[in-house]
Amino acid sequence: MTDDKDVLRDVWFGRIPTCFTLYQDEVTEREAEPYYLLLPRISYLTLVTDKVKKHFQKVMRQEEVSEIWFEYEGTPLKWHYPIGLLFDLHASNTALPWSITVHFKNFPEKDLLHCHSKDVIEAHFMACIKEADALKHKSQVINEMQKKDHKQLWMGLQNDKFEQFWAINRKLMEYPPEDSGFRYIPFRIYQATTERPFIQKLFRPIASGGELHTLGDLLKDVCPSAITPEASGARLQTTEPQHICAAEVSVKATRSTNFLSDAGSL
Amino acid sequence: MSCSMAGEEDFVLEEKRFKQYCEEFIKRSQQIGDGWEWRTSKDLGDGYLSKTHYQVRNRKIPPDLKEKNHDNCEQMLCTHVEESLDDSQAAGVCATEVIHYEYHVLYSSSYRVPVLYFRACFLDGRPLTLDEIWKSVHACYQACLLEGPWDTITQQEHPILGQPFFVLHPCRTNEFISSVLSSSRKHDRHINYITLWLSTVGPVVGLNLPMSYAKLAPEQDTNDDSVERQRVEPHEAGRSAQAPSSAFGLGHLNTADLGVHKF
Repeated sequence: MTDDKDVLRDVWFGRIPTCFTLYQDEVTEREAEPYYLLLPRISYLTLVTDKVKKHFQKVMRQEEVSEIWFEYEGTPLKWHYPIGLLFDLHASNTALPWSITVHFKNFPEKDLLHCHSKDVIEAHFMACIKEADALKHKSQVINEMQKKDHKQLWMGLQNDKFEQFWAINRKLMEYPPEDSGFRYIPFRIYQATTERPFIQKLFRPIASGGELHTLGDLLKDVCPSAITPEASGARLQTTEPQHICAAEVSVKATRSTNFLSDAGSL
Repeated sequence: MSCSMAGEEDFVLEEKRFKQYCEEFIKRSQQIGDGWEWRTSKDLGDGYLSKTHYQVRNRKIPPDLKEKNHDNCEQMLCTHVEESLDDSQAAGVCATEVIHYEYHVLYSSSYRVPVLYFRACFLDGRPLTLDEIWKSVHACYQACLLEGPWDTITQQEHPILGQPFFVLHPCRTNEFISSVLSSSRKHDRHINYITLWLSTVGPVVGLNLPMSYAKLAPEQDTNDDSVERQRVEPHEAGRSAQAPSSAFGLGHLNTADLGVHKF
């Protein structure tokens, strides 16, 4: 895994230049200037936009401000999806910076989860980590960790501390030498066109004959419609970092056919 | 009969088996008119159990819900008899609220257990907040919930519909399920996993299974009519003064034997 550290760092430090604009119908006391920010791909909107909130609240009256939410071209953005995933799903074919509209009223209850505090984000993040480990290690590794290790994972993400995060995460990315990989690969396939938010199924890293599975095998198995002659040349933006490292899959797709096992070793 | 946690075989629920239990559960639900149905997703053919019901509750305004926790475990917001108002509350107003509940049971392939999703809204469409949901949790479970609310009920995206729902966390399901199922197998009784599981976790979030889900005879395929005639009048399990008991009919085994578990 150490020889992949460059890739790990590239993924961790990926950024999307974003322009935040206040929704025109919000009531302001002065004109609201747009706010520019580099968003970390691996983080969550509500975790990294305190400055955005402060900036716009400065020109608004207290009573006009309730829970913040974000929208892109009319689509409410799900804060519980990683930022990189949101961008890939909705705006990857448009020019940078990514233009996001900021709202403080009329929270879309039917579309978005509430996010009243950082605790909600932490609970969501940890739930994803735990579910991923249920697939990789039958939850043995995550359950053996102490609460302070869980906390360190979260703080690493929250404070953008690569080393702090990976000191713990590397344990979640190991498997015993006698096994050739995780029990199942934690993955989710998102498509902007479906009502179903994502496809998630049990998928082993090793085929019955002992060969390592590839991304192509995975797609053929769980999402064959994504593999069409026209689509084969398209860039792959398939996985949500349910576990941070699954993000590597899209980076390594061009490097090797055995990347699924590589993703497991990242 | 005691149920020890250690040494019990972990019962793994495969998705196919989950669907079979659901089918059986639906048949029973139809027989007794309990309103459950199966919904299949259009794209991948997976599906889930679904039920809606309306809950009527009387609310004092302003409500002081903490007081009621010390009383018996009667569901605090579902009283049909008004408690007497003391002088300080005499000025309060009583309002009847109707809440529309929607319950879904989905299968989690990650945890290999069923998961209970639900959402609730007032008739005007206003959804209940997570806070209001936590407060309406059955008084008996409040202690468990207070230890770690983030481990039990949270808001999540429905994996098939993509909309916000509340979820009862599945991490601990296997612990209590395994112990009961392995003892039932020793006695050669057929237990419907869904009935067992739902009758245990459902009451936490206001979902009660009528006692008639219980099978009175080990062989339930034949003579369903005679079983019907013998059954006890269905009643809401949650209305009793004790902790809601599992509605699957093993008379000598109740929730006290299962111990107190974090869901």
